[in-house]
Amino acid sequence: MAKRISESLITKIEGHGSLHVDWEGRKAKLHVVEGERLFEGILVGRTAEEVHWITPRICGVCPIAHNLASVKAVEDALGIIPNPTTVLLRRLMMTGQMIQSHVLHLFFLALPDYIGLDRATELAEKDPKAFGRALRLKEVSDEIAFCIAGRNVHPTTTTIGGFHKIPDKSSLQRLLRMLEKTSPDASWTARLFTSLPYPELDADLELLSLKGDGYSIYDGDTISSSRNDDTSVKGYKEAIEEEVREYSTAKFGSYRKREIMVGALARIAINGKGLGQKARKFAKSLDLNNPFHNNLAQAIEILHFHEEAIMLIEKLIEEGMDGTVVRPSINPPLKGIGAVEAPRGGLYHEVHLREDGKVTYANIITPTVQNLTSIEKSSQTLLDSNPAASKEELKRLMEMLVRAYDPCLTCSVH
Amino acid sequence: MQREAKKLKVGIFDFTDCEGCQVKLVSLRERLLALLERVEIVNWRLGQEKNRMDRFDLVLIEGCPITQDEIDLLKLLRERSTHLIGFGTCATMGGIPAIMDQKERAKWYNKIYGPQYKPRGIDSLPLTSYVKVDFLIHGCPVDENEIVRVMEELLSGKKPAYRGYSVCFQCKLAGNPCRLINGKPCLGPVTQGGCGAICVSGGSPCYGCFGIRDTAQIEGLLDILKGMADKEEIERYFTMFLRYTKEYNEIVRPFMERENG
Ligand code: SF4
Ligand code: SF4
Ligand code: SF4
Repeated sequence: MAKRISESLITKIEGHGSLHVDWEGRKAKLHVVEGERLFEGILVGRTAEEVHWITPRICGVCPIAHNLASVKAVEDALGIIPNPTTVLLRRLMMTGQMIQSHVLHLFFLALPDYIGLDRATELAEKDPKAFGRALRLKEVSDEIAFCIAGRNVHPTTTTIGGFHKIPDKSSLQRLLRMLEKTSPDASWTARLFTSLPYPELDADLELLSLKGDGYSIYDGDTISSSRNDDTSVKGYKEAIEEEVREYSTAKFGSYRKREIMVGALARIAINGKGLGQKARKFAKSLDLNNPFHNNLAQAIEILHFHEEAIMLIEKLIEEGMDGTVVRPSINPPLKGIGAVEAPRGGLYHEVHLREDGKVTYANIITPTVQNLTSIEKSSQTLLDSNPAASKEELKRLMEMLVRAYDPCLTCSVH
Repeated sequence: MQREAKKLKVGIFDFTDCEGCQVKLVSLRERLLALLERVEIVNWRLGQEKNRMDRFDLVLIEGCPITQDEIDLLKLLRERSTHLIGFGTCATMGGIPAIMDQKERAKWYNKIYGPQYKPRGIDSLPLTSYVKVDFLIHGCPVDENEIVRVMEELLSGKKPAYRGYSVCFQCKLAGNPCRLINGKPCLGPVTQGGCGAICVSGGSPCYGCFGIRDTAQIEGLLDILKGMADKEEIERYFTMFLRYTKEYNEIVRPFMERENG
């Protein structure tokens, strides 16, 4: 009989899962027990305009990523190329999304492990100044989402071909002032996470991220691997396979049959040259074979996207904004793919439409599905490389490891 | 010190959902800290490592109880809590997962997971299908100010009240042009206010995630909608969040059937 280290759910991660270890055989398995919501079925029969309303509800931590992946998929199906203002505003939404999600993960879920606390709110008592910085970053990222997306969770302003509503110049200027004020907090975050004692682990990672011009998270069109094995986004379904396992309600993903890691660490590995001035300096300290360093990579990204948000707003103010919504082209293909880098990695939505705009088919591959196989493999490496550690110590390390991947089990079972 | 001892014991639980309502809770920031000082969080899987399952004065439940484990836990929580509160539309009305009913689910398990798969999910129903719930904080997601309002009332021992006004009331205050007047469907007139008409302000319709308000004139709205949308579209609006409400079953469905005949 396999003895489980933890029949209870892993705390401080998004969604429900537990780690099961067979101590005699020394094998680790990740059981995902989140209920199935069957989003790909929910979408069929709904209208094109309802897709990006429904899919954000896959995940409240990265709703903007789902919203935009859907909008992009539908626009691809309808032959729509949105105007430059729309693209800039969407990229700005994505910077807010990244900071929101990373701040939540780093300060509320991951940091307590490293500084010996049970919960983030204890930090509020122990180091109110540090906690205040975390809250300010949360606030500024929420404000970006409110201002551009209409709400901090689940956007209301986005539509196929553009925006129902675009912000006015004065609200952008207000955002800019908030961002300028919180710049020191973003730099401090990168410094703090550089100084943490990450456990050593050589997991021999293959890292995978979308790639485009610069540090692109909104419009990368190539799926790029650290092992120099790239695929066009159009071939996502053949390259990224999903396997059903009887112990999990989430499927387990792989890239060309190999375990891969996606997310912040992978993005920096693939797109690091595009990092902003300030963030680039910190990237040197990353160990690209240690999944624990995903936490550090997220902190570096907070700094990067903070800089990028300022740059995007300045550009929008300078160039002026065009709120036109682009209409579908004549004889569109009716089949489309939308890919973005969500906070946890590459996110793929595919939508097929009927002439009347009703959805006939939907496929969604989330980042965490792609990471699950790697999480299991790295947990196994951790077990194998620490033969002398006590069960207690291994249990603690493994939960930290799972958390470092920042899995969103909610997303993984959608 | 005496006050310390009297702190309410609170548990925050999440079933199958997107966790966006808990994200909203965290988004309260300083206001969340102020609330937390007045209670003892005994169990919050997303927020802390050390969790206990004793008696609770107050339990907040987010999400839809889809698996048997979730349904069992819900019943246990009901036994162990004085006040059990639904937190967000997934919990209060079934939410987005409830768009799909049990029959449809069987079909999609097969398509999405293949014939070998043993589904864990049973059905996507609101909490009230299984247990008595003391108050429903609606919203997909819940609204920050509503969380604070309801918590304040609960903490001071009062019974929280539902909003007496509609989304339209707040929509007009926000200065939005009315969708219905422009021939675009909207469920604002029958929906409980409290969200500030946030979706309409962003340019989207109101799909009613704050629940049907008291004394809503549903037939009146259906008559207006009939003039601008076909039966399927009206049905799509009402099934986004409201499929398991009494009003949907007793008024909207029969209305559609009459329209059909
Ligand atoms: S009600 Fe909406 S926001 Fe809240 S958990 Fe459910 S889907 Fe997410
Ligand atoms: S747009 Fe909708 S919510 Fe606003 S006033 Fe009109 S019906 Fe009411
Ligand atoms: S406008 Fe309607 S759908 Fe939007 S939050 Fe308010 S009640 Fe919910």
